[in-house]
Amino acid sequence: MTVISADGQAGGSGGSRPVIEVRHLTKRYGPILAVDDLSFTVAAGQVTGFLGPNGSGKSTTMRMIVGLDAPTAGQVTVDGQSYGQLRFPLRDVGALLDAGAVHPGRTARDHLAWLAASNQIPSGRVDEVLGIVGLAGAARRRAGELSLGMGQRLGIAAALLGDPPVLIFDEPVNGLDPEGILWVRKLLQSLAAEGRTVLVSSHLMSEMALTADHLIIIGRGRLLATGTVAEFIERSEGHHVHAQSPDAAALAGLLRQKGAIVTADGTEGLSVTGMESRDVGIIAAQAGLTLYELATQRASLEDAFMELTHEHGEYRAPTPAPQGTPA
Amino acid sequence: MSQTLAPVRATARPPASLRRVFAAAARSEWIKLRTVRSTIWALVLTVVFAIGLGALFTAIEVSRWDHQTLTGLNRFDPLLYSFAGLNLAQLSIGVLGVLVMTSEYSTRTIKLTLGATPQRSVLLAAKVATFSAVVAVVGLASCFAAFWVCQALLAPKHAGLSISDPGVLRAVIGGAVHLMLVGAIAVGLGALIRRTAGAVAVLFAVLLVLPGLVTLLPAPWNNDITKYLPNSAGAAMSAVVRFPNLLSPAGGLIVLCAYTAATMILAAVALTRRDA
Repeated sequence: MTVISADGQAGGSGGSRPVIEVRHLTKRYGPILAVDDLSFTVAAGQVTGFLGPNGSGKSTTMRMIVGLDAPTAGQVTVDGQSYGQLRFPLRDVGALLDAGAVHPGRTARDHLAWLAASNQIPSGRVDEVLGIVGLAGAARRRAGELSLGMGQRLGIAAALLGDPPVLIFDEPVNGLDPEGILWVRKLLQSLAAEGRTVLVSSHLMSEMALTADHLIIIGRGRLLATGTVAEFIERSEGHHVHAQSPDAAALAGLLRQKGAIVTADGTEGLSVTGMESRDVGIIAAQAGLTLYELATQRASLEDAFMELTHEHGEYRAPTPAPQGTPA
Repeated sequence: MSQTLAPVRATARPPASLRRVFAAAARSEWIKLRTVRSTIWALVLTVVFAIGLGALFTAIEVSRWDHQTLTGLNRFDPLLYSFAGLNLAQLSIGVLGVLVMTSEYSTRTIKLTLGATPQRSVLLAAKVATFSAVVAVVGLASCFAAFWVCQALLAPKHAGLSISDPGVLRAVIGGAVHLMLVGAIAVGLGALIRRTAGAVAVLFAVLLVLPGLVTLLPAPWNNDITKYLPNSAGAAMSAVVRFPNLLSPAGGLIVLCAYTAATMILAAVALTRRDA
């Protein structure tokens, strides 16, 4: 995993060739800097999770990728081309940015029909994607009458319409029930397995840990970290053992001799990193020291994410970024 | 990731020409227009206004016929009342034209539209062309219908005109072109203002309020300026008798086209420059 230093440079993408390339992207809305010198790449054949708290600039970045908003500075290309250069771009990039963007009086099929026509996509594809997302039975229903979850499925159908090699989803599981969430997760993974480039945003690390292969984490419009989900899990579940002993000071000395990093945690508590709890227990027993508590503390992915985004969200320039293990 | 699965379109397509982008966008806009109910209502209203109001005013005129002075009858334009309904019809067409753009902003489908056709000027052209084609068909149908209904009402007084009389066919087509150009201006206003209420307010102000304000100016400014207002320029196209306070039909066409072109250019610049 790569944690980004102050110069805002992106780490490696970790996958195959980069398809979406974001370079020094900046977007300013009046006094608000929504995206701040953001650089990253998204590779084909894997699901890339785009993570950040609400308001961190995910949606703005995605809007710039598909040419809806013009960057204040920097550039973004899809397969080497800027989106504005694409003719019939739905065949190249499918996007779900706002599932609520439908005319409530138009039927689901008509909604997809005008989109298909705009990019000369055969009209037969409309019923095909309605089938894929499980809305075949609702084709003639007006979009305004669809439930939140069905509306979300319609938005996903629109993204799939052009059978594009690149797919971008902004919070696709919003409003879905657990079954729907599972369905989206499998869909994204199968799209990636077909060799497509899949970028999906979320503010939930737990969801991304299950869905994505690769993560891009931003906070306040700046890149915070990139890396594979596996690397992220490894980092967040570091060896951290908590021990309680009446002979804490003596035990700390012994553990340090064996190479552990030990910090005091209260009068009788010790926080040990770089050693398994099993070894801590054996060392204490051999020295005849009493242990009345011994546990491995696992920080959750969510904690690691919170820590990362909080740190970078609240405090700006002076705090140096923590150094992670290189990707 | 897996090499065994089918590659996702490795071959590059030759880029589509802008003409194809326009044709596809126009087809898409046609689907959008015909799949919402507001279109049908606005067009039905337009036809009712154009024919019904013309017939109503003509019928009133016929009922007062025997009380008219001879000079009054000599200056009577048998088409003036036939096309009285255009004043209202242009408003319903105008509202529909505004909605062509503003409904995309209110429903946020503009994100999908501009995402599907990033060539925004081409998109605007396709929207205007498609809507104008619809207005042309509805406008021609209602202008011809209004003409025939009203002339039939005038026939007992032997004051009716035939379509083959000088200037008549031109006036009927002029009425439809008037509607078409007002519709195009409305689409442009929708793109500039983005909000339905605001765009409709501006459109109505220009078509209804401005003429009234200009008449308050001291002569001869009031008459000189009134001629060049969109409303009068449009009316000039469908007049057969030449009124002193109207431009010639060709003059009216040129002035209204100039307004339309100016609105379109501003709309294209705004649509291209602003974030969606």
